[in-house]
Amino acid sequence: METEVASSEKPHLPNRLGVKGWVWAGRYTLERYLYTLHRLTGLGLLLYVALHLGANGFRLGGEESWTSAIDFLTNPFGRVVEYLVMAAFAFHALNGGRLILQHLGYTLGKPKPPIYPYVDSMRRRRLLTWVMLAVIVALAIYILVEFVT
Amino acid sequence: MKETRLKILQYITGIGLFFFAGTHLIVSHLSSGEPTTWESVSGRAASAGWLTLYLLLLIFGLYHGLHGLRTIILEFSFPNYAVRVLDWALVVIGIAIFGYAAYIPISAF
Amino acid sequence: MQELTFKVQRYTPGQDKEPYLQEFTIPFTEGMTVLDCLIYIKEKVDNTLSFRSSCRMGICGSCGVLVNNFPMLACHTPVEELQTDRIEVRSLPNFPIIRDLVASLDLLFEKHKSIKPYIISSDIREAEEPTAEYVQSREELESYVQFAYCVKCGLCMAACPTVATDALFLGPQPLGQVYRYCTDRRDMGAKERFHEVDSPHGVWLCHLAGACSEACPKGVDPALAIQLLKRAMVFDSMRLAKKRQPVTLAHLPVESKPKIEVPEFTVK
Repeated sequence: METEVASSEKPHLPNRLGVKGWVWAGRYTLERYLYTLHRLTGLGLLLYVALHLGANGFRLGGEESWTSAIDFLTNPFGRVVEYLVMAAFAFHALNGGRLILQHLGYTLGKPKPPIYPYVDSMRRRRLLTWVMLAVIVALAIYILVEFVT
Repeated sequence: MKETRLKILQYITGIGLFFFAGTHLIVSHLSSGEPTTWESVSGRAASAGWLTLYLLLLIFGLYHGLHGLRTIILEFSFPNYAVRVLDWALVVIGIAIFGYAAYIPISAF
Repeated sequence: MQELTFKVQRYTPGQDKEPYLQEFTIPFTEGMTVLDCLIYIKEKVDNTLSFRSSCRMGICGSCGVLVNNFPMLACHTPVEELQTDRIEVRSLPNFPIIRDLVASLDLLFEKHKSIKPYIISSDIREAEEPTAEYVQSREELESYVQFAYCVKCGLCMAACPTVATDALFLGPQPLGQVYRYCTDRRDMGAKERFHEVDSPHGVWLCHLAGACSEACPKGVDPALAIQLLKRAMVFDSMRLAKKRQPVTLAHLPVESKPKIEVPEFTVK
C-alpha cells in the first residue's frame, strides 16, 4: 500500500518568471521598461560590433575587397540596420548616463521617513527621466532626418 | 572589492565610449561626403589621431560589452565556483578579438 | 459594483501538475479589501482555498499576492482601488508555491539572515549589558529610518527582474537592509557586509529597474537604499569614504525626579 506523503514534504512548485520576467512582469511603470530596453540595445550593439569587426577584415584584402564589401552592405536593409544602431546607441548612451548618476546615488534625493501616499525616489525625480527620454527621441528624429535626406 | 572595481571600470568605459563611439558614428554615418570609400578610409588610417581613437574605442568597447555580457550570463544563476572560468574565458575572447581588430588599423598605418 | 468576479490561482501539490485559475463570484460590500474577499470565499464558497494572512492591517507582511498583475498586500488593498470588478489573484512570482496562494518565503528569510541584519557594535559589553543610551541626531536617524520600515513581505523580490532569473541574487530586501545597517552609526559592521554583497551575485546585479520601490507597500524604497549602498561601496573601494566616528553614549542621570513617599497600607 502506497504511503501518502504529507503535503509539507512534497517539493514546492518553482515559480520563477525566468527571462520572460526581464521583458514583462506586471503593471510597472517607466524605469522598469527602460531597463529592458537598455539590455536589448546593449545586446544589439554588441552583436553589431561583432559583425562590424568581422566586416572590417575585408580591408586586409585591399581596395577591391573593401569596395565590394561596402557595395554589398549598401542596400535599403543595411541602411535600416545602420539607423537602428545609431538610435540604439543614442538610447543606450543617454540612459547609461542617467544610470551612472543614479547608481551612485545622485539625482535620487535623500531618504525621508515614509508618509502615505508613498512616492519613491525615482517617481520624485521622474522629470529628469522624461527630459532624458525627450533628448533621446529628438536625437532619433534628427538622425532619421539625416539618413533620409 | 573586485566586483566594485570591475563596475567602476564599466562606468569609466561607458563615459569614454560616449565620446569615442559618438565621434566614430558621427564621422562614419552622419557626416557628408563618402566616409566608407577606400580613399576616405585610407586617409583616416594614415592619421595617428584616428588610430589612437580606434584603439581606445576597441579597448573600451570590448571591456564594456564583455562585462555587460558577463553580467547577463551571471544572472542565469551561474554558479560561484565557475565564475573564475567565465572571467578567464571572456579575457581570452577579448584579447583575441582585440588582437584581430587592432591589427587592421595598425597594419594600414 | 454589486458583484465581483474573482479568478483565484489554485494548486494542490501531488494532485495538480501546474496552477490553474478558478472563478468565483461574490457580493461586493463597500470597504472590502482583497483579503476580505478571500476570507468570504473560504468561509462561504470554497473552504479548501489556502492563503496566508495574519494581522490584516498591513504590518506583518504575510498576505503578499499578485493582484491583477501587480504584487500587493491583500489586506492593504481595497477592492475599489483596483477600479474593476474582475480581479485575478495569483501567488507571488519568484517564490515557490506551497499551495494555492501560499508562497514559500524561506529563501527571502535565508538571504535576509545572511547579511547579518542586526547592529554589530564595537563595544559588545555595552551592547549586551547597556549602561547608557546611544546618541543619534535627527539627520543620522533620517539617513536610515525609512529603510527600517521593511516588513519582509517579499513584494519587492516578486517585482525584481534579476530575482526572476537568478536564484543566487540576494534581492532588493536584503540589499536594502545592508544599507540600513551600514549607515546606522551604532553599527560597525559595514566592511563585513560590503564583502558579502561584493560578490558576483551581490549588489552589482541590480540595474535600477525600480520595480521594487514601486511594489513596496510600506514606502521603504529599497531601490534608493541599494543605490546609496553602491555609492558607499564605490567610495570605500576608492578609499574616498569619510572615516566614521563611533557613536557616543549619553549617560542619563539616575535620579532625575524626587522620590514620592509611599503611603502606609490601610489593609494589613
